Amino acid sequence: MKALTNRRRFLKQLGISTGAAPFLTGLPIFGADAGAKKKRLIIMFSPNGTIPGEFWPDGEGPDFQFKKILQALQPFKERTLLLRGISNRIGGDGDRHMRGMSCVLTGTELFPGNIQGGSDTPAGWASGISIDQELKNHLQSEDATRTRFGSLEFGVAVPNRADPWTRMSYAGPNQPVAPIDNPKTMMEKLYGKRADKESLASIVDDVRDDLTKVSSKLGNADRQLLDKHLQLVRDLERELSQQDDDATLAHPVPDIDPKIELVNDNTPRISRMQIDLLVNALANDMTRVATLQYMRSVGQARMSWLGVEEGHHGLSHESDKNQDAFNKLIKINQWFAGELAYMARRLADTPEPGGDGSMLDHTMILWINELGKGNSHTLDDIPFVLIGGEKASGFNMGRYVKLPPKTPHNQLLLAIANAMDHPIENFGTEMFCEGGALNINNLPQIEKPKTKPPSGKPGGAHPG
Amino acid sequence: MFRTISQILLLSLFTSIPIAAQEIDLANHPGKAIYQKKCVECHADNGEGALDVDVDPLTGNRSIDALAGRIERTMPEDNEDDCVGEEAKLAAEYIYHAFYSPRAQNRGKTIVPDVTHLTEAQILNSVTDLIGGFRKGNTSPEIERPGLKGHYTLDDRKKAGNNNFKREKFERTDSQLRFDYKEGLPNLPDGMQSQMTQFKIEWQGSIWAAETGEYEFTLRTRNGAKLFINEHDNNKQPTIDAWVAPDNEIREESEKVFLLGGRRYFVRLEYFKYQEKSASVELLWKTPHGRRETIPSNSLTPDYMPKAFVGTTVFPADDRSYGYERGSIVSRVWLDAVTSLASEAADHVVEYVDELAKTKADDEKRIEKLRQFAAEFSARAFRRPLQPGEKEKYVDSHFNKAPTPEDAIRRVVLYSLTSPGFLYPATAFDSPDSQWAKATDLALAIWDSVPDKNLRDAAAKRKLNSPEAIEKIAWNMQWDGRARHKVTGFFEHWLELSRTEEVAKDDELYPQFSDEMMADLRTSLEMFLDDIVWSEKSDYRQLLLSDQLFLNKRLGDIYGKPDLKSNFQKVSLPDKGRSGVITHPFLLTAFAYHDNTSPIHRGVFLTRNIVGMPLKPPPEALEFDDSHFPPNLTMREKVTEMTRAKACMSCHSMINPLGFSLEHYDAIGRWRAKERNKPIDDNGILETDSGDRITIEGPRDVAEYAAHSPAAHKTFVRQLFHHTVKQPLLAYGDNTADQLEEIFRQSGFNMKYLLVKMAITATQPNVPKS
Repeated sequence: MKALTNRRRFLKQLGISTGAAPFLTGLPIFGADAGAKKKRLIIMFSPNGTIPGEFWPDGEGPDFQFKKILQALQPFKERTLLLRGISNRIGGDGDRHMRGMSCVLTGTELFPGNIQGGSDTPAGWASGISIDQELKNHLQSEDATRTRFGSLEFGVAVPNRADPWTRMSYAGPNQPVAPIDNPKTMMEKLYGKRADKESLASIVDDVRDDLTKVSSKLGNADRQLLDKHLQLVRDLERELSQQDDDATLAHPVPDIDPKIELVNDNTPRISRMQIDLLVNALANDMTRVATLQYMRSVGQARMSWLGVEEGHHGLSHESDKNQDAFNKLIKINQWFAGELAYMARRLADTPEPGGDGSMLDHTMILWINELGKGNSHTLDDIPFVLIGGEKASGFNMGRYVKLPPKTPHNQLLLAIANAMDHPIENFGTEMFCEGGALNINNLPQIEKPKTKPPSGKPGGAHPG
Repeated sequence: MFRTISQILLLSLFTSIPIAAQEIDLANHPGKAIYQKKCVECHADNGEGALDVDVDPLTGNRSIDALAGRIERTMPEDNEDDCVGEEAKLAAEYIYHAFYSPRAQNRGKTIVPDVTHLTEAQILNSVTDLIGGFRKGNTSPEIERPGLKGHYTLDDRKKAGNNNFKREKFERTDSQLRFDYKEGLPNLPDGMQSQMTQFKIEWQGSIWAAETGEYEFTLRTRNGAKLFINEHDNNKQPTIDAWVAPDNEIREESEKVFLLGGRRYFVRLEYFKYQEKSASVELLWKTPHGRRETIPSNSLTPDYMPKAFVGTTVFPADDRSYGYERGSIVSRVWLDAVTSLASEAADHVVEYVDELAKTKADDEKRIEKLRQFAAEFSARAFRRPLQPGEKEKYVDSHFNKAPTPEDAIRRVVLYSLTSPGFLYPATAFDSPDSQWAKATDLALAIWDSVPDKNLRDAAAKRKLNSPEAIEKIAWNMQWDGRARHKVTGFFEHWLELSRTEEVAKDDELYPQFSDEMMADLRTSLEMFLDDIVWSEKSDYRQLLLSDQLFLNKRLGDIYGKPDLKSNFQKVSLPDKGRSGVITHPFLLTAFAYHDNTSPIHRGVFLTRNIVGMPLKPPPEALEFDDSHFPPNLTMREKVTEMTRAKACMSCHSMINPLGFSLEHYDAIGRWRAKERNKPIDDNGILETDSGDRITIEGPRDVAEYAAHSPAAHKTFVRQLFHHTVKQPLLAYGDNTADQLEEIFRQSGFNMKYLLVKMAITATQPNVPKS
């Protein structure tokens, strides 16, 4: 509903009637040749924590070795930054899954509410904007960085329900942003109804023949109406056959099957489609901020394609001693890492439009999770992974850094905002922003005693 | 029950009205000599007008009497006494039959219906019913039991996360969804006791959408709630998702849904109260012309409705240049809209194809069933069985070529809905006499849609073979919400309701005026019209003569009937002269200035639409400017002064007395005794077209005159026919207009019966002479 409204408004701005819209394959691109260097941010989410022992690398600094879960990132090791010790310290209402999800990008508390989790008090929506939407607003406020959409929210297998476990992106307090998890919907949002165009092309000659036949049987007055109709159908037919030749896109529309059924077993295909669409939208500069949300917090995806038949969240509750569950959780997280690697590969293989290097050089990918570890529900040591070009962030990549424990994640969100040329000093709950953005190129090390630990109410304390 | 009685009574009437096409011997008509002597100099041989004289051609819709009256009073110009009495009558008769009447204009020609495409209403309804016809239980029965069925579940879940909690359940039908439970529980059924503070309620049933347009639904609650309109699947996006309730504060969330009128739609509201302190929930809507209100109980029913496809494509406005909407213009915007709607429908059909084709994913015969479904879909789109070769071309070829069966289905739907056979219904049939053509004509005339199963069966069994058989079917078709909706559309046109959308009034003079008041007045008017049309007698005269109207508390307070309840009820006002639509406050308000009445607007409306007299555009356009008159004059005095000239009076002799008759009603339709401390004068002499001088003393006299005036009947019948059939009357026989008027009169001006007769007429068009 919302997407349609936006699309209508957009087409109106272009002076294209929505009636004609179904047949448009490509739409003009804003800012495609803007001289200024582009900076992009992709935030990818996967749920239910990780297996820390197989996630965090051996070694430290530039000299580290991936363990099982992150093996797929090996080709991008020089462009990967791992930060251990970051904690989502937001307290207040809601269980840890809820706060993990709805506070990870907002950095602020949930409103009191009526949604009860497995523990703690019931809660409502987040009480502030999320960093992706904050950056969108910032970029859209200036001509040089404004894009058609400003941000795009992709989903993969996100269930159709709106609650604090399914939403991480917020346009403001109480304003969750729903991800689009249907590639067809996203395709239409980006490129119009291309699938229909193909079907239409296959029937338009029949319609033309029938009109000719019917018209020939009519008297003069009636025939005029049908002949006009026939002429319009001929025009349409000609446009349909011409459109592919004069596409205005810098990058062609990805060749995806828009009729894919949104069922669990199709998740791997849907994931790749969404990544392809995401990379394409960035390549065509339709947006510079994107999120990609896999499932939801407490998600029960059954990853049968990995030979895992149990639900993900159920598995994540199993004891560390359950070797079967342990192995399956590693597989699951390896799969997510693989999808991240695929996205990085797509960006690395795509030359930066009108610029130097690859798109990955100008893009920062942040992989997040709502928990540090599934069975303890800890909000400490959340597995944050950064991949991307130094041109995008200015961050020195190719490192694994152990930060002082319980470093508030607000400071990381600030660092990302600053890297995107949005020099804010506070984001979310103010007391967790004390000391300002993490200085990524000169990070505090765990060995050094902290001069001044962040004060305030310790969030995320867990009674059991 | 009464349906059967009136049916028998009226059936016998039908066969007893033989208005034969009497041929007039024009060559020897005594009026011809009079015309040649006294008229031909200016009007020329065939009424076309002499080259050097400025006169309009003599053609039109007036009756012989009216022509005679005009000749008597006004002709020949500057010698008005030269052609009067019997001479005037003979001249009029000759003129009428020789060239004036529509029939005379088309003498020797056979007028046949024009080939037109579906109007916007017709294409949207057709696609909805085409798809809905493949679903189970797709009926739209009358609303009998109001309210929604509520499933109540009470839980004792003091310990969060504990799965072993106590639970109690019950069901009941709630007439409106507007509850403030404060800190407690819903009212429990007799004998039930509970201490539980957590509860969940799921209401389900259907809502009645009387008109077509955007409906804005609003959920107002302190707790968690989800609303589904026309969506049965819990896993799909709710229409409104207000499940998360921050802070136990009252929240309102709204969403607009486009609905086709004359139909009911599935609705479900899920609501729960957890540990929050207080609880409340309310379901409101704003209908396209209504105000925001709790959904009234008579729009809710606990019955189940299947999903409906409702296209959201916006079409360009239909051609109205004939005085009624019809599909006689094609443009690129229109073609794009048709294609866009076809593509919406194709998406829907592909999404639900297993349900529609009555198969499932692992069905061995799935592909075969999909083919059958596709063939049946295109047959129903053409409104007839497929002819030899068509299945191969329009269905099988796609299944053979398309990459998947779903692609094939998509193509079949896209083709079917963009083909001339669907868009121009008449072109799908070899002859208008075919049973399928008759079923199509009936469905379009009564519902603006495609034939349903009953009609298709009747056509297949060749049962549409006599007016009597068709009449029986047409009566039953009238009991469908879509038929009501179509008639509502006629009243919108007849009473010019669309003119009233931007009415504004002076705040100081009329502080009572508000959008809410106008919305309530429109509801009041629609209830009044519905009440009469769908009553047993369905008496057209009551539209003009009834002294009752529907008021709620808001309107009662304004119009002098205080102490009414908030619901609408039928009341009589104490005012002298209230008379049907003529004095309905909605129209009185609409046809008035922002700070005063407007006898001219009211008079023109009454002349054209109610009394049924044609008016020419004014010879010179004069803007009414209040400041041009001395301030102590009444409105009547100002209008009289302004239209004094002879050129004005040829029309204003009619307009003014009609308009003045309503001077007792102010600019928002309240009764007033005086204007500027002068008593109101609402008397006048109406000079009718046929030369009669009728004394009018207030609106009741206007109503009595119109209710019994053949000219008014003629206008009503012609407009209703055009709205219903969307073709010229002459395309259905030279005498059809006369016959329908006669049927109307003989049936006691029964509008339902007239509609049935018009639907029958629609199945009997003239056939082109080959």
